[in-house]
Amino acid sequence: MKAFDAEILLIEDNQDDLDLTLHALKRENLANNILIARDGEEALDFFFCRGNYAERNFDAPPRLVLLDLKLPKVNGIEVLQQVKSDPRTKSIPVVVLTSSKEELDLVRSYNLGANSYIQKPVNFTEFRQTVKHLGLYWLVVNQPAPQGACEPAGQEP
Amino acid sequence: MQTKLLQTVLDSLGDGLIVVDMAGRLLIWNAAVENLIGAAPTALALNQWPEALGLYEPVECKTYPAEQLPMARALRGESCECEILVRTPLTAKSIWIEVTAHPLKDQNANVVGAVTAVRNITQRKISEQEIQRLHDELESRVRQRTAELEAANKELESFTYSVAHDLRAPLRHIVGFAQILEEDFRPKLEPEAQQYLTRIQQGTRRMGLLVDELLNLAKVGRQPLNLQLVNLAPIAERVIAELAPSHEGREVECKLGELSWANCDANLVKQVFQHLISNAIKYTRLRQHAVIEIGKTEVGGQMCIFVRDNGVGFNMKYVGKLFGVFQRLHRNEDFEGTGIGLATVQRIIQKHRGRVWAEGEMDRGATFYFTLKGLEQEPGAQESK
Repeated sequence: MKAFDAEILLIEDNQDDLDLTLHALKRENLANNILIARDGEEALDFFFCRGNYAERNFDAPPRLVLLDLKLPKVNGIEVLQQVKSDPRTKSIPVVVLTSSKEELDLVRSYNLGANSYIQKPVNFTEFRQTVKHLGLYWLVVNQPAPQGACEPAGQEP
Repeated sequence: MQTKLLQTVLDSLGDGLIVVDMAGRLLIWNAAVENLIGAAPTALALNQWPEALGLYEPVECKTYPAEQLPMARALRGESCECEILVRTPLTAKSIWIEVTAHPLKDQNANVVGAVTAVRNITQRKISEQEIQRLHDELESRVRQRTAELEAANKELESFTYSVAHDLRAPLRHIVGFAQILEEDFRPKLEPEAQQYLTRIQQGTRRMGLLVDELLNLAKVGRQPLNLQLVNLAPIAERVIAELAPSHEGREVECKLGELSWANCDANLVKQVFQHLISNAIKYTRLRQHAVIEIGKTEVGGQMCIFVRDNGVGFNMKYVGKLFGVFQRLHRNEDFEGTGIGLATVQRIIQKHRGRVWAEGEMDRGATFYFTLKGLEQEPGAQESK
């Protein structure tokens, strides 16, 4: 496994949220293979194998992406839009994990193809439960798209 | 002598008077006519009057149609009254006249001419226009003020919303780290430190509740009403059932009387019942046998819904503070609460253009009343629908 191959991509700018999410993931033994992006630009570099991630390969997508919406440089909605509109990345499961319960954010996220939308609960026990369910579902229960089955770019009708 | 006397009398009148024969020739006129329109139309045929005398019809200010002149209509046997705008170089400024015309008939009731009275109504017209202007101005000012007030309210609500919303993130962090501290490091903490940790967690729980209720209050203000004809009894019933676990082990009797249908937003009215009934459950905590009654009654000729309890009640001196945000009549140690519940109830009822009020007595219980549109109907009147 190469250094860039991650099971979970966690896109989060806030250090506190990051620590709490990692703590919860560790508790559930889900933190073995996590990659962290601290803003939207870095996340897009990862998805599209650019910049620091130029060595990465489209054939090894993460099995789960946790995406915060409020991000510096490129916000979460924009990241979602780019990832879900590109045939090379659109089958990657993206779960929006955010503070916001604004209807507009929900509508936009789902319209762009988010696989799930979760508001971070204030209660930490609940949050841990949520993280546990997420990990179990997407990493264990869910069957990912076959590798290499992504349609090549530019051949969409 | 007679003619001269008649002319003198006519000239002394304030209103103008014109009498014409069937051909439209002037038979009699008085000085007032000349004063009003600047000249006596002696040499003019009737159909030349509008142009020559500058007669305009009042609404669109077009030259008055000659055949519609009151005098012409009177010659056709018709009595009429109308307003004419006079604007001509002959008169110093435009004036408004009110013209009344009647046909002049001989013994056999044949029309032989017309008699027309002309009155200057300029002053009245100016006053009317002034009143209209002031009225329009007042209306536009009211509209503007209302819009400003609505905008201010909206801004306040969205401010509340974003503040409450933004408070959630740091609160979540405190809650999370405090819990990690408790779970992972508890054995290493001195008992006193553990105590403080517990206090931090209590504080954050309370703040979480505050933030959620503030968010809800702001949401109630922001979202549009979804008005429907709603049967209130099943809503109250559901709320009573949902709240049952909160008084487990206590003796609480909920008497649900006859309610009715109302034109309201079912989700919001459910919240009203939730707040009022959970308050009733809370403030009867010290009663051996708590009784909560929900029903419909008439107060001052108006139908309203009430929620009554036999709890600790309140002093009517403070009734004005009951519905204010963060206003509480009890210490948090005695009865916990955020002071947002009744403010939310009031906001919901106000949004329905209804009224909510309360009556209470120290240690003798409290009753909350609210009105909604459509309560006047008989219960069950719609049930056949």
